[in-house]
Amino acid sequence: MRTLKRLFQFISIYATALGLLWGVKIVYGFSDYLIPPPLEVLQVASQNGLLYVKAVLDTLAVAIAGHMVAIVLATAVGLVGRLSTWPGNLTRTAAYNLQAYPIVAVAPIIFLFLGDGLASRLLIAVMICYFPLLLSFIGIFAQPVEEVEHFFRITGRINWRLELSIRTFENMDKITTVIVGSGTMALVGTIIAEFLAATNGIGYIIRKALYQSNLAKILVALFLIGLCSSLYLSLIETIGGWIKIRLYGHKAA
Amino acid sequence: MHIACRNLHYTYPGANFPVFSNLDWSIEGPGFFALFGLSGTGKSTLARLISGELSPMQGDIDIPNSRRVLYTHNAERIPGWNTVGAHLRSVTPASKTSLLTTILKDYGMEAHLESRFSGLSMGQKNRINLARYLVQEFDLLIADEVLANVDEPTRNHILERLKALFPQKTFIYISHNALEVARFSQTIYVLPHGPATGTDRIHKITGLDQQEGMETPEELVQERVYAILKSAASTSEHQA
Repeated sequence: MRTLKRLFQFISIYATALGLLWGVKIVYGFSDYLIPPPLEVLQVASQNGLLYVKAVLDTLAVAIAGHMVAIVLATAVGLVGRLSTWPGNLTRTAAYNLQAYPIVAVAPIIFLFLGDGLASRLLIAVMICYFPLLLSFIGIFAQPVEEVEHFFRITGRINWRLELSIRTFENMDKITTVIVGSGTMALVGTIIAEFLAATNGIGYIIRKALYQSNLAKILVALFLIGLCSSLYLSLIETIGGWIKIRLYGHKAA
Repeated sequence: MHIACRNLHYTYPGANFPVFSNLDWSIEGPGFFALFGLSGTGKSTLARLISGELSPMQGDIDIPNSRRVLYTHNAERIPGWNTVGAHLRSVTPASKTSLLTTILKDYGMEAHLESRFSGLSMGQKNRINLARYLVQEFDLLIADEVLANVDEPTRNHILERLKALFPQKTFIYISHNALEVARFSQTIYVLPHGPATGTDRIHKITGLDQQEGMETPEELVQERVYAILKSAASTSEHQA
């Protein structure tokens, strides 16, 4: 149901945007070269559909891998960052300072050192979604849930695992939202990487289409990107919902 | 159990005025004692100082080292991933299992053990929270508004049973309900509204210490309630 809702929302927005585009074309009398007619877009879709689907799945695979790596890394570093000792303070300070830097600006250096293959795309995807995740995780892990933790603390039962379980459980909605948000960023990061220098993926296809000034190809690519990101994000939301049902014993509000 | 505060000073970080200043106070347990006062007079602060959750800025709180002090308040929750029964079983020492059963029966909570805490009413949550503290090892339990959401007959029953089950323990019961503290407490300590320089005294009023199965004449209760309220109010007026 959630997936269908997301897909419906995306398709509605996409159709509205196309409608507006073609509306502008009619009103201002733009040429077919600048804004292709619907038939041309459909032709491009039928001619290149399979190739584009493969490319977008390639991009999605890299984005998902990067997202997973970022989640694991952010969790591990977040565990250190929650500490009130010097490693925690150092981690927090470093995280707050580093996240302020636009990661995309570092992308050319990454391509320079790692080439235009998978490693560069993966690394950029990880870096783009890692810092928002890390900052959220540090905030969540460091914030006591006093009304639940109090009993365990005063009776001497508290330990870091229990503390972490309580804080994670109590912030499950926030964590799911952050992970969903960072999923979009992972996809954005991968596409940007492909757009900049890679030789694979849907970003690379868009770059080629841009050089050919072929808007029809770009529109088809954008449709597939939206479709895949909607499916991926709704998958994360479904997993989050499933975890909540398992933990809460019922569907949480 | 003897607890003594001497020359106690405490100001919350960032606050302009101290909560306590030069406060001297002591109680001698076991028994059921009450802390009464208007909102903001420092009842919970004093409780947290005694339990060690807060540290005084000056002065001493003497509690024998071997004595175990617990502090509970009515905003506490149990982790949502467990049912109430599973949580209680996990935090109850093996030697206290039968005590837990007795308490749950007394509190009318046996039928709710398979529920999640979030599915309970406020009054039921209060009872479950108190029950899990009562099965811990403790010498002094400071109960801060722990039955605030429980109806009066049930609350009276719980307090009577608590006193009957734990005659050798010390309780400091924090409440805004003058009737129940007058009826059930051995001694009521009334915190006045402190001056800007911080509260420096606590009034002492003898309570009726009603035991299980006993009836206390209403006139006596009313008399104590009046004394308690007068003590709190007159102090406030005096400070004003």
